[in-house]
Amino acid sequence: MNRKRIYSNWFMVPAMVIFTIFFLVPTAISFFFSLTVWNFDSFTFCGLDNYMTFFSDEALYNSIVNTLIYAVLTCVLKLVLAFFIAVFLNSKIKTKNFLRSVVFFPNLISTVAVGITFSALMHPTKGLFNKVIEALGGAGIDWLGNTDIALYSVILTDVWKGVGVATVIFIAGMQSIDKTYYEAASIDGATGWQSLKSITVPLSRPAMNSVIILSFIGGLRTFDLIWAMTGGGPGYATEVMASTVYKQYAAGYYGLSTAGNVIMFVLIALLAFPLQKFLLSKEVD
Amino acid sequence: MKKKVVSVLLSVLMITGLTAGCGGGTGEGESTDGGTSEEPRELSLLVDTTNAANEGFLAIVDLAEEELNMTINVETRPAGTEGDNVVKTRLASGDMADLCVYNSGALLNAINPSEYFIDLSDQEFMDRVDDLYKEAVSVDEAVYGIPFATSRGEAVLYNKEMYEKYGLEIPKTWDEFLANCDVLQEAGETAVLGTFADAWTAQIVFLGDAYNLLTAVPDFPEKFDAGEMKWASTPEGLRSFEKLGDTTPYYNEDYLSMTYDEGCDVMVSGGAGHWFAMSNALSAMYTLYEDMDMVNNLGMFAIPGDDADVNGITMWYPVAIYGNKNSENQDAILDFMEFYISEEALDAYCGATLPDGPFCVKDYEIPVEAYAAVSDIQAYIDAGNYEPALEYISQVKGADCPAICQELASGQTTAEEAAAKYDDDCAKAATQLGLDW
Repeated sequence: MNRKRIYSNWFMVPAMVIFTIFFLVPTAISFFFSLTVWNFDSFTFCGLDNYMTFFSDEALYNSIVNTLIYAVLTCVLKLVLAFFIAVFLNSKIKTKNFLRSVVFFPNLISTVAVGITFSALMHPTKGLFNKVIEALGGAGIDWLGNTDIALYSVILTDVWKGVGVATVIFIAGMQSIDKTYYEAASIDGATGWQSLKSITVPLSRPAMNSVIILSFIGGLRTFDLIWAMTGGGPGYATEVMASTVYKQYAAGYYGLSTAGNVIMFVLIALLAFPLQKFLLSKEVD
Repeated sequence: MKKKVVSVLLSVLMITGLTAGCGGGTGEGESTDGGTSEEPRELSLLVDTTNAANEGFLAIVDLAEEELNMTINVETRPAGTEGDNVVKTRLASGDMADLCVYNSGALLNAINPSEYFIDLSDQEFMDRVDDLYKEAVSVDEAVYGIPFATSRGEAVLYNKEMYEKYGLEIPKTWDEFLANCDVLQEAGETAVLGTFADAWTAQIVFLGDAYNLLTAVPDFPEKFDAGEMKWASTPEGLRSFEKLGDTTPYYNEDYLSMTYDEGCDVMVSGGAGHWFAMSNALSAMYTLYEDMDMVNNLGMFAIPGDDADVNGITMWYPVAIYGNKNSENQDAILDFMEFYISEEALDAYCGATLPDGPFCVKDYEIPVEAYAAVSDIQAYIDAGNYEPALEYISQVKGADCPAICQELASGQTTAEEAAAKYDDDCAKAATQLGLDW
């Protein structure tokens, strides 16, 4: 018997069965049902009509644009903010452990609870944010009601909630950097900025890549926060792909919403795989 | 070899375990469990949270438990699209409660009732139900539901005190209405209350205009279902969207963030001149302060048309209670339904909460004095000037109507764009229903 194969392949069966039943089969079925008008009991084949409906719908186009804005902005903001917070929390400060927990806390709260809380805080007349702004003499902002701002208000909330995870990943990455690099640099007379730029940034690249991929994909398939805060509104101003698909599903257009899911699946795959490939090629040892 | 056999066996066990878990809960045939047993009969009833708060409904349930020797387990689900999902999923998975509260009208069409609900057309007690209402809960000759509550007027609630203070008259045309709004706005009042955080409230101007549309184009629903008429290309239909667009400048500052519940409070406290609403808001307002005078300061007038001589109100039918066809408790379900629309039960309803409009039950006289705004509605009905909302006549209702109306009312689109969008949205619904558009 080959030494590498002490265990029988049969051990894979339970996992494969679950994976097949709950992932592979539904995926294959969804490709099929995306080509039908379907009401759970019966279906009529309609070719590519569902896809045509989706692509001729202005709402889908808007929601793709919104999704991309959302994904890119949350990703960049989390990356930059988390990096500097991590640098700060890795330095020699007394309340380090306490601050690390504080940064991570928002992530422990359920997204829907965060959404409801922030929509209360952002209420144009009764919300805390505007009360503070008005007390300081400014004019209140209609955070979620103004159609030009609403999406960015949700993005800020997402960053507030998500920056903790990114920070933790960065801290872990930075702690694995060998201290001798910094010693060598300081002996050579490097300033703090120089060692940050030439040692910390390149050597925390793997952490950075994880943060980018995680938050970008997370942003592409975002749903809960948007739904809790604006429900896609006012009108369609904060509609993203997932909420568009959900609305079709809720309306009972099962074939159509399945087609939307397939489109979303393909789009995320098309964006995420090349991004990952590109990022991995940039990693240094 | 032994290992192999054991592992195969284990995996087979797991698969059967999984599938057995998914297969439970489907109907196990209809047994005729008579009502003669001493044990209280158990029924489950699924209702959305908004309707579950209706004191009248709860009073009937309590009375039914006593009179019929039943235990009724009221289960709640969210309202709105979230709740629709729960209903559709539970129906499809065979996990529906014995009784289900769900929309009447076009939305009933969309859930394939013949598959899931008891056909009540042979039941004697259905003779008591209003014929127009029966139409709203029928699909292809079969009748499925009984009215859950009273019908409601869908129109404009106005503040009588403000109207007196500024010397305003009840508008007979849309232009007069806008002129009234201008007066209120210039005086620094909130002319029209907007509660668009609950998107469905944004539709009321549009949906409540149905009377004007139907009097001008009586065959619109029929031709619309046949795909021959569209909202965007029918001037009278487009007019409903234009009216919604006209309201944009008059709303309160936080109209996109205010919820329906907050709106009830503002309106009953005299904080706004007009509110496009349904008359069941009156009960909600009454429960806030339990002050009849405050509620009676509000009157209701129909959404005005362009002709001063044509004035009528759009009526909204109550949601219905449907019986689960695949439940074992057929007799108990029918007994409960019969009881629910009996005179005794409706009296209990009126004893617990004041009605928001007439019941859809023939020959039932409301035994108590109603809210002032409900009397206003009754006046329209007595004069014969009313039509049911469009979704009780037409089969097709676009699901995205709230968002489209919200977008229009917040000034992001024009009436033409909104009408065209709604046409597209209805086309999706028509495709799903298998209509040939």
